[in-house]
Amino acid sequence: MSTPLVVAATVVAVVLAALGGLSTALRRRIGTAHLAGAGLLELLLLVQLGVAVAALAGGDRPEDLATFLAYLLSVVLLPIAGLLWARSDPTRWAGTVLGVAALAVAVMLWRLLDLWEVTGG
Amino acid sequence: MADDGRAPDGGGALGRPAAEGTSADPGTIRGPGRVLVALYGVFALAAGARAAVQLSTQFDEAPLAYLLSAVAAVVYVIATVGLARGGRGGRHTAVVACSIELAGVLVVGTLSLLDPAAFPDATVWSGYGQGYGYVPLLLPVLGLLWLRHQSRVADARPPTGGTAHAG
Repeated sequence: MSTPLVVAATVVAVVLAALGGLSTALRRRIGTAHLAGAGLLELLLLVQLGVAVAALAGGDRPEDLATFLAYLLSVVLLPIAGLLWARSDPTRWAGTVLGVAALAVAVMLWRLLDLWEVTGG
Repeated sequence: MADDGRAPDGGGALGRPAAEGTSADPGTIRGPGRVLVALYGVFALAAGARAAVQLSTQFDEAPLAYLLSAVAAVVYVIATVGLARGGRGGRHTAVVACSIELAGVLVVGTLSLLDPAAFPDATVWSGYGQGYGYVPLLLPVLGLLWLRHQSRVADARPPTGGTAHAG
């Protein structure tokens, strides 16, 4: 787990959530800004996944390995699920749906970092 | 990096103007209801994963807290499905699930403050959902308000529920 990466992904996620809220406030559906944001977030999450898998392969083990893996895999799916679902919604709430997914990603990343730092035998 | 996708043009970047209203198609979930389903989905996932791990690896440490986590997870899943399905049946299911949830977060929240020893490891509902930004306390309230609004919308329609005369 890399803290700068988590910070970067959190910033992107918060910006994405703000964009989603803005769309809802302006009574718009989601647009290219949301697509770009979700794409960038997903990219950072995939890099993060690679870093974590490499560290696990290198022998580092968080104490609560099962929870860590569950979070690690589900967090990667969230922006995709949020984006697909938001794109199929014709109302202004599409942006808020995406925002919920983005904020959930941010929270889960910090939880992941917590789990990672409790390394034990 | 922070400037990515921040193009100030009002056209494509922030999306096309949204469709108005949610009345066209009572069977499909859209609009604010979808936001609720997204929130519930996240909580169903989080509570379910947590309960599965706790029950399978460390049940003996705090059986009460872990069983509660599992119950909470099941209730979240039922509420998610009920909200997502919509319709009369879905709404009834969701009302029951949201009510159990509200009772759960209030009772468990109060007990966990009065008797912390009974809850050595946190559940979703401990301290009124403190560990989850109090969202567990907010969710059932929002859910019940939304469901009440939905059933009023449904009642305003002709009971046969066929063609769109609503509005």
